[in-house]
Amino acid sequence: MSYPTLAPYITKRPWLMRWMRPLSEWYFDNAGYRKLGLRADDLIPEEDELVQVALKRLSPKEAYDRVFRMRRAFQCSLAHQLLPQHEWTKSADDYPYLHPIIKEVMAEQTEREDLESMVINKRKAAKKPASAGH
Amino acid sequence: MLSRSAVGRAARQSWQQQRRGLAAPASGSFQYQTGEAHGVKFASRDIPGPVGTLAIVSQAGTRFQTAPGLTEGLERYAFKNTERRSTLRIQRESELLGSQLQSYHTRENLVVGAKFLRDDLPYFAELLAEVATMTKFRRHVMNEEVLPLLQLDHKRYLGNTLEMAINSAYGVAFHRGLGVPLKLSSSTPITKYLSDSALADYAASAYAKPSFAIVGNGVDHGELSKWVNEFFADVPSQPLQALKSEQTKYFGGEERIAHAAGNSFVLAFPGSSVPTGSSYKPEVSVLAALLGGESTIKWSPGFSLLSKAAQDAPNMHIATKSNIFSDAGLLTIEMHGSASDIRSTAGKVVEALKSVAQGVSKEDFQKAKALAKFKELEYGQETQAAIELTGAGLVQGNKAYQIDDVAKSMDGVTEEKVKQIAKEMLENKASVSAVGDLYVLPYAAEIGLNVYNRYLAVAARVVRRSLKEDKRIQAERRGEMDMRFAKWENGKQGENKSLAHANDAAMAEHAAQ
Repeated sequence: MSYPTLAPYITKRPWLMRWMRPLSEWYFDNAGYRKLGLRADDLIPEEDELVQVALKRLSPKEAYDRVFRMRRAFQCSLAHQLLPQHEWTKSADDYPYLHPIIKEVMAEQTEREDLESMVINKRKAAKKPASAGH
Repeated sequence: MLSRSAVGRAARQSWQQQRRGLAAPASGSFQYQTGEAHGVKFASRDIPGPVGTLAIVSQAGTRFQTAPGLTEGLERYAFKNTERRSTLRIQRESELLGSQLQSYHTRENLVVGAKFLRDDLPYFAELLAEVATMTKFRRHVMNEEVLPLLQLDHKRYLGNTLEMAINSAYGVAFHRGLGVPLKLSSSTPITKYLSDSALADYAASAYAKPSFAIVGNGVDHGELSKWVNEFFADVPSQPLQALKSEQTKYFGGEERIAHAAGNSFVLAFPGSSVPTGSSYKPEVSVLAALLGGESTIKWSPGFSLLSKAAQDAPNMHIATKSNIFSDAGLLTIEMHGSASDIRSTAGKVVEALKSVAQGVSKEDFQKAKALAKFKELEYGQETQAAIELTGAGLVQGNKAYQIDDVAKSMDGVTEEKVKQIAKEMLENKASVSAVGDLYVLPYAAEIGLNVYNRYLAVAARVVRRSLKEDKRIQAERRGEMDMRFAKWENGKQGENKSLAHANDAAMAEHAAQ
């Protein structure tokens, strides 16, 4: 599942975004995952049907890179080491590659649920024009 | 679902139509009205009835595809998610309105359309415009929904010998273009050519203004014009890649494919183009009706020449079809059944064709002409065929398919013309394809067909025709002779037999043992 976020609220307000950006940079640098060469979207828990569907939709290159990053991070973690500094994830590389797909899958699912629970009302005769039903 | 006003309107329309129908001498309402909006061509005929049909006919069949499998892919991708609606939403909405979405392809055209209740025209005009211009081609949709279907289709094709034989005959006859198989005949397209981006590029060519036309049946022309104007405004005016195919050339030859699942044998000869095309020959469809094979009467073999020829093999499927395309055609005689049946009948089929080239009895000819006319009119009257023919006619020559003209040209066919076309077919190199047990299935040369170059026959004919009258008649008689033999038993000469016939009979006997 995706994580809760205030980002949309903040990005809508440029002044707030100006304030928050340095703070968020500082926070993410200190979160530590970048020092293991990971991206924020690598931290989304996989044990979820939605995320599993989304992972299947990654392009072959992205899926390969994701596995590579994870294995490298796992190796570092076992060895109690951090990557050399030039291999740390740069903030420009730390873009959401999985999150949009998860959102799309969620939207599909909600749409399906909505349509499944839809109640159909018969058109009232002569009140409305016939083509206004949809 | 129908409101009172809708019923009222439909009733009024059908009443008006009936009046028009009574006033006009011929079937007036079968005429297509054509128009153009924003450079998009459209045609419609307002047949009375509560159900209408609307379809995009795109010149994007297997003949024009830029890489193998793209037409099939585009057909299967129709009505998948667009910028505005998801696949599911499209499905559910069309279900709620009570309609049927359809997409299919032929060698030349891709047809994407819907059948619906008359009043829902605006919804489906908008939907078709969305499918044409706003479809999102995504890799996961390809992988999850399109490719599995194509793979199943491929498997089905590989199990069907008749379909394989027909496609192989087309390949032999036309090589590229029209000769490209209608269905995926190998898995290469899936592994190599079919991707979401290739499909998006092909869609940009297939759904550009010059490549498609919109055809409506049972819709009001004014209404259709209005909605096409509104929804089809932002269709690209030029195709991404021009879908041009050269003038079709007939080659001919023979192909034999071993197969364990069944036995099929297809003979093919160059035929006629569509009525809106350049080389339209109505006599070909009369010849097809004359040869026939399939009975129009239940529980009876019928009176067509081929059903007589196949009398000894009642379990074999035999049929003659005149397949028409924009600039060429192919007359196919298909046989499907046991190998020995095919072996024994194939020679007789060629004999039947030769007998037509010699002459046709008046009664047979009249029957065939009536049947051909009926078949043509019945075919054209059905919406599915009329939609495709009209759409293709509009795209290629800006002419709609008019059923009345076709009937008229059919009346002009004479016995002489049918005889002539049969003769030409026999002189030409035939396309022959055998799929199944190759040990038993005959070669083209064994059943007396010309598969080598036409050159010899043409040269001989030219020489003979340049002779003086009396000598020419003698020489022409010689040209029609074929090998005959008689068996001598107990010092007496037996019956004169044609070598080809006797050979076939002996082989069939051998195969049956």
